[in-house]
Amino acid sequence: MKKPLKLTVNGEPREFFVEPYFSLLDALRDELHLTGTKKGCDEGDCGACTVLLDGKPVTSCLVLAHSAHDSQVTTIEGLAGQDGLLHPVQQAFVTHGGLQCGFCTPGLVMSAVGLLQENSDPSVDEVKYAIGGNLCRCTGYSKVIESIMAAAQEIRDGNG
Amino acid sequence: MPEHIALGKSLPRVDAMEKITGKATYASDVYLPGMLMCKLLTSTESHARIVRLDTTRAEALPGVRAVITGNDYPDIRFGSGALRDRRIMATDEVFYIGEAVAAVAADDEITAQEAVELIDVEYQPLPVVVDPLQAIRDDAVPVHEDLESFEGYGFAGGGNNCTLLDADRGDVVQAFQDADQTIEETYQSQPINQGFLEPMACVANVEPNGRLTVWASTQGPYQVRAQLASVLDIPLSRIKVIAMELGGGFGAKLRLAFEAFPAMLAMKSGRPVKLINTREEAFTLNGPRLETNIRLKTGVMNDGRIVAREAYSIFDVGAYLGAGPNAGVGHALGPYKIPNFKLRSYGVYTNKIYVGSYRASGVADMTFAVESHMDSVAHQLGIDPLDFRSMNAVEEGDISVSGARLPRNGLRETLQAVKDRLGLPKKMGEARGLGIAMGEWRSGSGPSTAAISVNEDGTISMLTGSVDISGSDTSMAQIAAETLGVTLDQVVVPKRDTDMAPFTGPSGGSRIVYSQGKAVQMAAEDARNKLMALASDRLGVPPDALACENGKVYVQDNTPQELTLAQLARMSLTSPQGPIVGNASLSSMPFAPVYNTQAAEVLVDRETGRVTLTRFVQAQDVGVAINPMSVVGQLEGGAVQGIGRALSEELQIDSETGRVLNPSLATYLMPLAVDMPEIETILINVPTDDGPFGARAVAEPPGFGPPAAIANAIYDAVGVRIKELPFTAERVLAAIKGQQPKAGFIDIEALLSGENPLV
Amino acid sequence: MARFEYLEARTLRQAISLLQRHGDEARIVAGSTDFLVRWRQGVWQPKYVVNIGRIASLRRISYSRRLGLRLGALVSVRDLETHPQIQSNYSALSAAAASFAGVQVRNLATVGGNVCNASPAGDTLPALLAFDAQCKIAGPEGDRWVALSEFFTGPGRTVLQTGEILTELRLPPPLPNTGSLYIKHSPRGAMDIATLGVASVISLEGSGRVCRNLRIGLGAVAPTPIRASSAESLLWGREVTPELITSAAQAAKADAKPIGDVRGSAEHRQDMVAVLTQRTLDRALDMARGNPMAFEMQRQFAIQAAF
Repeated sequence: MKKPLKLTVNGEPREFFVEPYFSLLDALRDELHLTGTKKGCDEGDCGACTVLLDGKPVTSCLVLAHSAHDSQVTTIEGLAGQDGLLHPVQQAFVTHGGLQCGFCTPGLVMSAVGLLQENSDPSVDEVKYAIGGNLCRCTGYSKVIESIMAAAQEIRDGNG
Repeated sequence: MPEHIALGKSLPRVDAMEKITGKATYASDVYLPGMLMCKLLTSTESHARIVRLDTTRAEALPGVRAVITGNDYPDIRFGSGALRDRRIMATDEVFYIGEAVAAVAADDEITAQEAVELIDVEYQPLPVVVDPLQAIRDDAVPVHEDLESFEGYGFAGGGNNCTLLDADRGDVVQAFQDADQTIEETYQSQPINQGFLEPMACVANVEPNGRLTVWASTQGPYQVRAQLASVLDIPLSRIKVIAMELGGGFGAKLRLAFEAFPAMLAMKSGRPVKLINTREEAFTLNGPRLETNIRLKTGVMNDGRIVAREAYSIFDVGAYLGAGPNAGVGHALGPYKIPNFKLRSYGVYTNKIYVGSYRASGVADMTFAVESHMDSVAHQLGIDPLDFRSMNAVEEGDISVSGARLPRNGLRETLQAVKDRLGLPKKMGEARGLGIAMGEWRSGSGPSTAAISVNEDGTISMLTGSVDISGSDTSMAQIAAETLGVTLDQVVVPKRDTDMAPFTGPSGGSRIVYSQGKAVQMAAEDARNKLMALASDRLGVPPDALACENGKVYVQDNTPQELTLAQLARMSLTSPQGPIVGNASLSSMPFAPVYNTQAAEVLVDRETGRVTLTRFVQAQDVGVAINPMSVVGQLEGGAVQGIGRALSEELQIDSETGRVLNPSLATYLMPLAVDMPEIETILINVPTDDGPFGARAVAEPPGFGPPAAIANAIYDAVGVRIKELPFTAERVLAAIKGQQPKAGFIDIEALLSGENPLV
Repeated sequence: MARFEYLEARTLRQAISLLQRHGDEARIVAGSTDFLVRWRQGVWQPKYVVNIGRIASLRRISYSRRLGLRLGALVSVRDLETHPQIQSNYSALSAAAASFAGVQVRNLATVGGNVCNASPAGDTLPALLAFDAQCKIAGPEGDRWVALSEFFTGPGRTVLQTGEILTELRLPPPLPNTGSLYIKHSPRGAMDIATLGVASVISLEGSGRVCRNLRIGLGAVAPTPIRASSAESLLWGREVTPELITSAAQAAKADAKPIGDVRGSAEHRQDMVAVLTQRTLDRALDMARGNPMAFEMQRQFAIQAAF
């Protein structure tokens, strides 16, 4: 039976009913219709469902929705500013060709945002390591890495 | 030469904003009021008669709205390849583990799953054949007893042979007799999954007017429409397919997959029905590539000239011919001049998941064999592998396997570019090695259409029926923009469906930019000619005195006479010819080959067998890069798919039952960022005569070379030739220790005559 | 997939009483990373899921030179990887944690969960064994202690009884002149289950020649993670020579009883035990002799990635 769940999603307090067995991913998609977060495997193996939970990147398919009550959740829909200005990571992916089919993109972007919050001056190896849990089949990763390095530069330059 | 306004610019994708903000809508993102969720019951048997299939208990479960089995469909066989060999859902017999047997639509996913578990099914097992080298024999257990009755069946090869492709030229027997040396080898490639990140998904709904709407994850909306009409036995005009954002396909989503299940459930329940594959189903339901066994025999002269080639390949197609040996035959020569050849390629049924397409099906398998073999031959002759390739490489004017004359191309330039970048020849350190491989493909053809409207504000609407695949919408919009002299942001690319857009072939086989892009260019030219004609009329100058650039049509001799596209579009509304719309249709494009050269540097751990790729360089003749960022992105992605094929990817299949043993992304090992060096990509620009602005195809070739390049690098590093994919640590270590691999030499004649083929 | 009821414990006592009340129909979750996968596969079908993830007292990490390391069961695998005291004093454990899945899963997965799921291939387990972890178990009758080497009883099976919860792991303080290294053998540099993994921790006498203490943990080569006991006993209290290291590596190979599966044959796994044991011992010894290895390098050994 569905039970109430309180979350702050993209800065907005939300209270809604969720099945006990729903994952955070199912809650975001099926209940809130925040479909930017993708279900690529539902087994924690692809990273497409990555969101920030209390600031840290997690695979939302492996989080029991109710276990996240009272938490802060940031999804791809919550990254751009009110004015529609893209987050530097988003902008860099657009400019540097870091996305192709786009299905893994929200997860990769969230992983990158998680990394740059901790370390805005990562090496290429640190970037690879931070996105080690994100599969991408289209890009071969080179342009993804290039995008994240460029975003880090932007953030260091104070444009983030 | 005037500055280009859109051509050759690394502009962001036209769909970038939607995708980067999470607003792009994929099929699984479709939510409709009252929508039901669908789950499948799949076969647990490799080959069996269904003796009982009882859905009563499932139907009785509260929340279940419809249950279907194969008997709900018209008694129709259809096929994706040449043969009509399958039903959309099993009726009285199942042919592989994972085949769909029944489907349920319920209020939510968990109820649907519970209902599936309540379906009672009883099987009577039938004999099973899993190994294609057994299945091809005359005395093999038949997968399909009624093979010869299949519509489209024309090859009486015996056993489970279902297709034969062949090509012959010259006098092979004599050529081998005359050759100084003959080298013969057998290679084996592994079963492999396309690895699209978006599981297949579909929503179906019956509209109040009785028409069926299907929101699909597909590369070929018109092909899905046609096949749906066929299996549901309803008129094509009653179906609308909306191709949603495509989360990767690579060939797997070219044809009807399971859209007929939610469609039938929607028809039966009167409610919208959604089906999303689990990741396990993405590995077990349909459409991977299976193993290929390839035997190559080459006759050479001591000076390095190749004089003869014999190639036999056996493609395991699984339970149905979803996609066959395809390009397997044509690529058995590689991009080399070989005057005498005999090429045979067999498709054979087994009790396994049936094959689909994957990024030029069969060519990667064949390229692995041919390009590994080239190194073996070169080493036997004592010639540098690169020089050996160079001296035998095809040239303009040569006749291809299919009989086409080779036009101008950049094959040699790709070889030279890689040579220069790496400073070849190059001596590598201890346990380090370098290998190269070349690849060839053709720019894809097929029916293509486009319509270009000039809007009243001077913007351009580009309408095509094709699904965006790796940035093709952006490239086509750039073609339209360049042709009409406007910036890319002036081109509107609408979302489309099979009702609103004209028919086109599927997005696959590297055909979109070359063929569909050509249609866009022609349609844009048509629109431009109409703009010029109108401007000529209004300005009172002949059309050839006009130019269409920077959003306007102006008189070229510097007189300040011009009309903007917006002005012209508005004028056109009342002109005798009416609104400006350019149209184009074509059915095929001239032969335009694509060549590449790829090189891998590896480090081999002699104690563990682990191969680490340390550097990867590739050069490809792309003709003209419409959008270099997009082209390079595709080449990088394709190369990494090929690297996965070389090093870690394998759909492991149980040898007794045909069951897929590793149906998850934790066990089917696609490369991750941590596994890849930077991919260094060099674009070679030898324009085609006919492609839009000289463009060639891009997407397929980068996946071909990595297995052979890496095999050749391993040989260079530790002196062992690995003839089976993938090059796992265990396999490489066994070779280093001198252990014999499974596949030695396959005597195909013996095999076809029923004798033991493994010598 | 079968419906279940979600229960949440705010205190350890509450958790134990929920487990007692629901018996075998209940399953504990914390990070839920394993749970949700197994539940979707239909392998685990509890009626009640008891989330202990909010019990704050189980999240603590403390380290002192006298008492060693105390890890609450809810400490995340990501914390094992990044905690400065763990990185400097139990570096093989941090490196092993770094080889675990991807960052997103490490942020969720807990060390207690990794131990209790008792996978033979659990990434942190060989290192925890090699650091001689002790398990604190809370239950209806109070607390009890079990050595990690006694904790596993089979694949996915442990000594935990109904109503019991693993609450803490204690790792003794490192001896002086200690080196440790974990090497994971797997095709990919992340998101991969170990084909096998070896962790060695070696401590030398002040002279730097005699082995004072050695533990070798092996993963994915037996029904549970195991210690390579016969290899260890070859070196204890003896002067370490290259020949002896090689003998120990061969002994470790004999200690392993692997099976074959999609990741590799039994023979390959067994052969690799010798190779990886040799490598971990060689390098751990070097570290014990006062030649530190940068953590980035240790992580590279752990994940065997391409960079």
